Amino acid sequence: MNQKELKELIEFLIEKDIAEFELERGDVKVRIKRAGEHMVAVAAPHFAVHPAPPATPSTGAAPVPGTQAAVKETAPPVEEGLHSVRSPIVGTFYESPSPGSPPFVKAGDLVEAGQVLCIVEAMKLMNEIESDMAGEIVKKLVANGQPIEYGQELFVIRRK
Amino acid sequence: MPQTDARLGRVVRLLADHATVVVSGTKIASEIGIGRSEVWRLVQQLRELGVNIGGHPATGYSLKSMPDLLLPDFLAPLLHGTIFGKNIHHYYKTGSTNHLAMDAASTGAPEGSVFLAEQQTAGRGRGDHVWQSARSVGIYCSVVLRPALPPSEVLVLSLAAGLAVQAAIEDVDPRVKVDLKWPNDLLIENKKFCGILTEMNAEVTRVRHVVVGIGINVNQATFPPELQGLATSLRLATGSEWSRVDLCAALLKSLDREYREVVENANARESILRRFSERSSSLQGVRVTVDENGGFEGITEGLDSRGFLQVRTAAGLRTVLSGTVRNCNAYASGP
Repeated sequence: MNQKELKELIEFLIEKDIAEFELERGDVKVRIKRAGEHMVAVAAPHFAVHPAPPATPSTGAAPVPGTQAAVKETAPPVEEGLHSVRSPIVGTFYESPSPGSPPFVKAGDLVEAGQVLCIVEAMKLMNEIESDMAGEIVKKLVANGQPIEYGQELFVIRRK
Repeated sequence: MPQTDARLGRVVRLLADHATVVVSGTKIASEIGIGRSEVWRLVQQLRELGVNIGGHPATGYSLKSMPDLLLPDFLAPLLHGTIFGKNIHHYYKTGSTNHLAMDAASTGAPEGSVFLAEQQTAGRGRGDHVWQSARSVGIYCSVVLRPALPPSEVLVLSLAAGLAVQAAIEDVDPRVKVDLKWPNDLLIENKKFCGILTEMNAEVTRVRHVVVGIGINVNQATFPPELQGLATSLRLATGSEWSRVDLCAALLKSLDREYREVVENANARESILRRFSERSSSLQGVRVTVDENGGFEGITEGLDSRGFLQVRTAAGLRTVLSGTVRNCNAYASGP
């Protein structure tokens, strides 16, 4: 299965509103689970996909016809309770409300659900990105002023 | 300052409805359902706000001239059939109407809520830019929208808002030639007179609310020296005073039109991008600097399919996401 087929598959699942899907075909095993508003695609052996608009297809490597070992391999282990906050738009990342003011949050901060974490700006539209859960900011993944893509991970939060 | 006492608007409206006669304090008191001493207090407040009311408690009151205040009582009747007529909030003085609207939206203000101020003490632009918002000479207006669209589809509203202001000005005075500068500054003869700041609160796939804030320089007769080469007002550009009430009503009507298009018509984006391209003189072949991502310089090459500005640089074609775009040679770009 190549990148394009995978993308079509995901689009088909979204269109039909299928929440969970598993496929084993030859060397490739694909498991896709759509959890609420987020979709998590876990594919073995070598590619991970996150939702992306048609204009910016994700750039994960195409699967390499695997060895027996690769087939058994599952997605990289994700630490229990970790969650990433993604950008809903293409734009520029700002860590603070205005230049020179302190950042909304930094690693180690405890945040509440609904607390503003950053601003993503596109075309003078300022998008306040809120935390969708209470927890601790483990990592900030982008630098102030950096351009970001749709769906790009911005923060990792450990659920409280 | 708190929201304007709605009774102030009713007193003005009552006097305006009887513009040629003196209205007794007793009549005003009974119409509004308050005491005569309260009427006196409200009249004094209106006078402090610059409304020209003649008379005193013994003789009754009359309006000496129609005040150009953006009161809900004046605007609502002009906005029938739009989403903006039902929840108009007016302030004589506030920090920023966008701030008011974002706060109200997060606590449930309905779509179409409008926040207007005669004066802002902390009018904002991009980043740390301020918007000069002197009393009763500009329009400082923020609206709450709740489009049922994914956030990526809402970006185009930023361009549509600029088109809406342009249409409103041409509705009031078709002789004014307004130029759009990407993404949504409005210029007359290369000087800015209107700025728009849009704020959104969204999840990855769903928009909770959007606030579009519009600041228009209407009747400023002068600007501080540091702004004189950069800023203008409709009065300075046309030589005559404008009715802020008429312009504000025209603005909310055209904004209503553009917004409905975005939420109801799947092809709205194409139409907006095409119209924007037709009405902006700096979108093609103009040398610009962009203060984004380290800063770069190049020649504009139109919009991409999402509405982002394309700039041809020495290092290839670059997409401007959010930066301020400055024309390197404003005077050479004209016809």
